[in-house]
Amino acid sequence: MIVIGECIHVIAGTVKKAIETRDKAPIQGLAKAQVDKGAHYLELNIGPQRRAGPEVMRWMVDTVREVTDSPLSLDTSNVAAMEAGLGLCQGKALVNSTDATEERLHNFMPLSAKYKTPIIALTMGKGGIPANADARLELASNVIFPSAAEWGVPVEDLFLDPLVLTVTCNQDHCQESIKAIRYFKMMNEPAPRTTCGLSNISNGAPAEVRPLLNKVFLVMMMGGGLDSAIMDPLDADLMETIRVIESRDDSTPEGELLIRLYDTYVAAEQFDTIDVDVSLPGLRDIAKTIDILQNTTVYAHSYLRV
Amino acid sequence: MPKVEAPVEKWRGRVQEVRLGGDGRKQVTVGGESTLPFLHFDGEIPHRPVIAAEVLDMPPADWAENVVSAWGDALKSPAAWAKKAAQLGADLIFLRLASAHPEQGNTSGAQAAKTVSQVMEATDLPLIVVGPDVAEKDNEVIVAVAEAARGQRLALGTVTDKNYRTIVATAMAGGHAVVAQAPMDMNLSKQLNILCCDVGLPKDSLVMDPTTGALGYGMEYALSVFERLRLAALQGDAMTAMPILCHAGYESWRQKEAKAVEGVPVSWGDQKVRSLLWEQMTALTLLQSGAEIMVLRHPRSMDVVRGVIDRLMARQGPVS
Repeated sequence: MIVIGECIHVIAGTVKKAIETRDKAPIQGLAKAQVDKGAHYLELNIGPQRRAGPEVMRWMVDTVREVTDSPLSLDTSNVAAMEAGLGLCQGKALVNSTDATEERLHNFMPLSAKYKTPIIALTMGKGGIPANADARLELASNVIFPSAAEWGVPVEDLFLDPLVLTVTCNQDHCQESIKAIRYFKMMNEPAPRTTCGLSNISNGAPAEVRPLLNKVFLVMMMGGGLDSAIMDPLDADLMETIRVIESRDDSTPEGELLIRLYDTYVAAEQFDTIDVDVSLPGLRDIAKTIDILQNTTVYAHSYLRV
Repeated sequence: MPKVEAPVEKWRGRVQEVRLGGDGRKQVTVGGESTLPFLHFDGEIPHRPVIAAEVLDMPPADWAENVVSAWGDALKSPAAWAKKAAQLGADLIFLRLASAHPEQGNTSGAQAAKTVSQVMEATDLPLIVVGPDVAEKDNEVIVAVAEAARGQRLALGTVTDKNYRTIVATAMAGGHAVVAQAPMDMNLSKQLNILCCDVGLPKDSLVMDPTTGALGYGMEYALSVFERLRLAALQGDAMTAMPILCHAGYESWRQKEAKAVEGVPVSWGDQKVRSLLWEQMTALTLLQSGAEIMVLRHPRSMDVVRGVIDRLMARQGPVS
């Protein structure tokens, strides 16, 4: 599982202020902390930065480079800023991102090819939010693949992102995202790689249930074939979950349950929570979260209290 | 003709039964269905949907002429109004304590208790009593009403996610039920049910008001929310399984199509006919998506809706 650390993001107040005042310390602190906790890429989300894009991106890359040589995920819609950042990364970068619209593909696919860096491609076209897994697959195969071929981006350098929607507003879409990941992995030999903005799933949910939604959804997505996620590496429980799944550590009841959930999704089946030992509060909460993400009980902010 | 077996859906869940009304007086039970509305061949429908007549504790200021004249002098007193509604066949009285609104008279809790006592003397139908939809005043008048009607098992409201603790606690103490209103969103309806039950309200003391949209004003959204709540309930989600209350009267009669006499195209036709159609179409449509308590305004609409319910409830047993 490739962990793309999400913490350096212009939406975060500290990051925004650090960029404005060119204060290196907060950015470097976040960079080091995420690498220490096991991030494989560091997201540098600077926003559109219409006025000083290239300069801001160069400053960000240099700032982070002073404390780590971790690969970077450069996240901006500003094409000049993207190219400025890629120029400093010697291939140790990820273009984040294009979608399935002509303009974005035309802007970012050539950069991915030129700098020999992988690129994240959201399966979202002119029509906005895709209705289901089939619509996502269609965009990947009819729009994104041909564009990659046209510009000379190898399939294995594509990170397809199904666009995860919130469980609070789009409960029926959770399984569509997982299904889309499964479809993506069957598209080609070699298969494209897959990623997602994991925390999106729990956007709008109360803080106390967000980590649980993120964790259970991650396990389902990994079972579907997820190769990487833009996520919070400082969430120790989430990182532990990845370790449990990858090492198949079933020494705890929770580990055992999560591995069963993972295996069920590898087999492309629905998980039946009826056998979960709900006398253990941790397992009970996971079982309730599985039912929410499988859309078998209706989401409510206090779903754990039922 | 070859014989065709009608496919039968097997649901795991059942709508929660809620009983309203006091000892020694008329009682009404709603809910209990193990199938979608009126699909008798699919499951059980132990109780028919009921009609609640909307009664205010003060003469309505902005009601259309044809609904005012239909009730006549009864509008002058909530007791007379409720009594007439009972004579006209209402199953329940939906009493709105409008005069408690700070801008409508700001009447007190004591006055509310008196009004409710008078209405209970005038009719033995079960009561739903709601405040003026101003949180502080709702709490004041509903606490007083709950106390005055202890043991009569009213449904009290309106409970919202911003204002539920006082009314729920009061209802529990007085053996009443509550009406819980969420803004046309299945997830928020469920959330409010959880909040109410989490402070100790029994599941059989809760009626959902998922918010109604009238014909032309979001009726299809309301229909979809009612229907999805009902489907979730039948699939076994107990926190979406409470009976549904529908404000077809209030929502229809406040629309231009129901009120406007002048300044509208001739093709709209006579307001007296149009307004009734508006209320009846809204009510009949939303009955089909799971409403159990239909709150109506016009006596004629009560007749029409009751007649349709009679016919839909008569079609029991397998389709032949």
